[in-house]
Amino acid sequence: MSAAVIFPPDQAPTTARNPSLATIAWRALTRKSGRIIGVLILLFFISMAIFGPMLYPKQLPINGANLYAPPSWAHPLGTDFEGTGVLAEIVTGSRYVLSAAALAALFTIAVGTFMGIVSGYFLGLTDNIIMRITDFILTIPGFPLLIVLSTIWSFGSPIAMGVVLGLTGWGGLARAVRSQTLSLRERGFIEAARGLGLSNGHIIGREILPNIAPYIAMNLLLSVTGAIYAEVGLFFLGVIPFQANNWGVMLNLAFGNGAMYTPQSLLYMISPMACIMLVTFGIVLTLDALDEILNPRLREG
Amino acid sequence: MGSVAVEPAQASALDRDVACRVRGLTVTYKVDNRELSALRDVDLDIRQGQITAVIGESGSGKSTLALALMNAVSKPGRIAAGKVTYRDLGEVTAMDSERLRRARGRSLSMVFQASQNSLNPLTRVGAQLLDLARSHDMRDPRAVLREAAALAERMSLDADRVLTSYQHQLSGGMRQRVGIIFGLVLKPQVLLLDEPTTALDVLSQSSVLEIVRSIQRERQLTTVLITHDMGVVAELADRVVVLYAGRVVEEAPTTELIRHPRHPYTRALIQAIPRLTGDPSLARPLEGQPPSLAAIPTTGCVFRGRCPHRMEVCETSTPGISQVSDTDHRYACHWEGAAND
Amino acid sequence: MIEVRAIEKVYRGGGGLLSQRAVKALRGVSLTLKDGEAISLIGESGCGKTTLGRIIAGLETYSQGELVFDGTPLSQVPPGDRPQWFHRVQLVQQDPYGALNPARTLGNALVDPLKLQAKHLGKDATWTRERARELLNLVGLDPEATLYKYPHNLSGGQRQRFVVARALTVDPKVLVADEAVSMIDVSLRLGILSLLSDLRVRLGISVIFITHDVAAARYVARDGVICVIYRGEIVEYGRTDDIIRSPVHPYTQALLSAMPVLRGLEKPGPDRFIPSQDLDTQAQDEAGCLFRSRCRFATERCGREHPNLVALDGGERLHACFYPQARDVVPVPVG
Repeated sequence: MSAAVIFPPDQAPTTARNPSLATIAWRALTRKSGRIIGVLILLFFISMAIFGPMLYPKQLPINGANLYAPPSWAHPLGTDFEGTGVLAEIVTGSRYVLSAAALAALFTIAVGTFMGIVSGYFLGLTDNIIMRITDFILTIPGFPLLIVLSTIWSFGSPIAMGVVLGLTGWGGLARAVRSQTLSLRERGFIEAARGLGLSNGHIIGREILPNIAPYIAMNLLLSVTGAIYAEVGLFFLGVIPFQANNWGVMLNLAFGNGAMYTPQSLLYMISPMACIMLVTFGIVLTLDALDEILNPRLREG
Repeated sequence: MGSVAVEPAQASALDRDVACRVRGLTVTYKVDNRELSALRDVDLDIRQGQITAVIGESGSGKSTLALALMNAVSKPGRIAAGKVTYRDLGEVTAMDSERLRRARGRSLSMVFQASQNSLNPLTRVGAQLLDLARSHDMRDPRAVLREAAALAERMSLDADRVLTSYQHQLSGGMRQRVGIIFGLVLKPQVLLLDEPTTALDVLSQSSVLEIVRSIQRERQLTTVLITHDMGVVAELADRVVVLYAGRVVEEAPTTELIRHPRHPYTRALIQAIPRLTGDPSLARPLEGQPPSLAAIPTTGCVFRGRCPHRMEVCETSTPGISQVSDTDHRYACHWEGAAND
Repeated sequence: MIEVRAIEKVYRGGGGLLSQRAVKALRGVSLTLKDGEAISLIGESGCGKTTLGRIIAGLETYSQGELVFDGTPLSQVPPGDRPQWFHRVQLVQQDPYGALNPARTLGNALVDPLKLQAKHLGKDATWTRERARELLNLVGLDPEATLYKYPHNLSGGQRQRFVVARALTVDPKVLVADEAVSMIDVSLRLGILSLLSDLRVRLGISVIFITHDVAAARYVARDGVICVIYRGEIVEYGRTDDIIRSPVHPYTQALLSAMPVLRGLEKPGPDRFIPSQDLDTQAQDEAGCLFRSRCRFATERCGREHPNLVALDGGERLHACFYPQARDVVPVPVG
């Protein structure tokens, strides 16, 4: 056999290395304008959550003479029932909502993915134990649990909120990741890796994980938005004795103080809702790019 | 035998022995805002009552040709130029979608590769046959079922078992035969077989080929066989059309083509077949890969990248059609050696 | 050297709790593969040839019998050491599309096992990189054009070459190629087949080639042996030339008859016949010869007694038929 192989022009030898992850990410983001908008929205809210609260005093000022004021230079989104600026409340409230949601989502993804892969890859006793735990988690009604927990726990810190949301939320993901792992397990390349003596850690981290990464990324979206809805919902219902300011609290107070009946308070009520929508929208747009970054096949389209 | 250059045959009223005439067929796919040709200027006559094989590697455009013969090329592809005319149906490239739908499955029927699961996994075979009959307004759908049962018996299948089975209950060879039953049950005028034996083992393959051969002979059915396997061509086809990178590079009666291939590609193709006779070490692998759609040269010969006889002229000029004198053996090559056996 | 001694494989399954039916995939198969030898296992889908290959590659367990590597039976190897032991046998899978991880570059797929090997041999990263290039050259792929690509950039034939290169990273002594060309265009098959024979000659690797295509089996094992398997049993065994030229078992003859005849260059052999019935993998075990129901030459004796594998004329050729008779089923070259 001769080793000479003729390459058609498109497969001509190239010495170009693969682009770095940063380059791939940049290309994917700039391919569609929507993705850039998504990233900008997310960056905007993230910086709002990090730096925003520094711009305002810890206790926002009350002004009895300026209730439900229309937008002005001092208060671009008007004021609330106490005369506090709505924009100030949105900004200072973002940290709690977003950090709790991010924490919950990371917790869900990390635990869910780990449990799912380990369970689906090792099978046997490991699988049995993990799946029983997962089933247990899945049977816990998350929202009512939070209401019950809130009677003994104040949820003043976003960490507590994030952990509880994460703890109750990973079951579904673990099951889904497990079934994905089960089908990957039967694929030839996993068998080949085993036959070549590659370690289980390698197979899980390098062979299986990259293949379910796009799926996990999609779940990141669902987890973040799910966590935001859950916490905002809790505060809105007012079942949690709130100390901190956040978007859910704003909605609760807006309703509690008759915002429904005064057209002047429209901005006060709509602003937190709009923020939640914008964050969701930003995540959706960004994830479109994430799928391409993680899937080499889409990258070249 | 010498060769003479000929003009490509002109499209005219179809001769008695031509069931389908393809002229100047060009199919393009739109990729990244570029129109890439999967088929380019293809001329082809499909003879009435014969088996015409189209042989080519992956990416040669043979599957695109099968779709184009039914005017079923779908986006992002389109028939950019050319005509496909059937003697009994007229020009399918000019038909509206409703007439096309009626023609497909009824007058022109296509049998897919068994591994492509063209059957609905959730419905029994018999029910799918009834659906097929109804969608073509057959007056007596039951008669279609009886015809199917008769065909099944012909193929040494247990008709009752097959018709009441789901797809997953059938083996690969049985599934392929069921596919052929679907193709034949409405008594089409032209049958297209797309890789009918790929993914079958040799025993299933030989019995499927035997079935196709005997039914074709019995009904004098005009058949087009799309394949990458010269062995299957040799067993079934009367004529062969060799497709490479979207162009017809050679065309001849089967035994003539296998015995006296002219085009360097056809020669290499035949040499690369492992055989049961002769010295196995004389077989020569076909080097290189067929070009991808984006890399097919637009000027010159499409095969030059892998050709052992490439010359300067192959870069610049697309070879015209030469005909081996007094035969219907045609090929497209600049190399003088192609004229000799 | 690998010895397969009376290996049996039984799958439990089918039926309900009470009617557990056992499917016998292998019924006592014995084989010997010498170093650097090529052997082709042929038979139709479902005959057990794939199972046998996977057992030899350590990817499947067996119910009875023994596997012996270089004189050491597997049962004497501590279970913990067995995976290590099986590294010397590498499987080249049928599907070159599933065999490569779509999410990783080919370079990574090659370097990962090489790193293990480097650690084992006490080599450094430079060795790993050079070895990767060397292996790609060996299988006829251009390293620079391959290493940074993803599997979907390669054609089926190129992928299969790459899979072979990857199998070579661990310096195996045996390659088991399971229908390694059946999903590749016929035009590109010979390239892979000649690569396998070439590696055998150059690196002294034994090759177990599993296929239903007798011509491919002949090409790879042209100076080796062919072993014909039917429903989990060896029914004929011998030097490749002998099996092709004068098959004595009707099943071997059916497989050879089924091969397409290149009309124009060949004509059908005078005794060629087309077997019509499909293999019924659900068939119940029966007394007598397992091929009986499909055999044109079966007699009353075939239904009563089971033919065992015996030597033909006292030579090294083996067959399992009461009426061994050579027939001319292979195509005859013309003019």
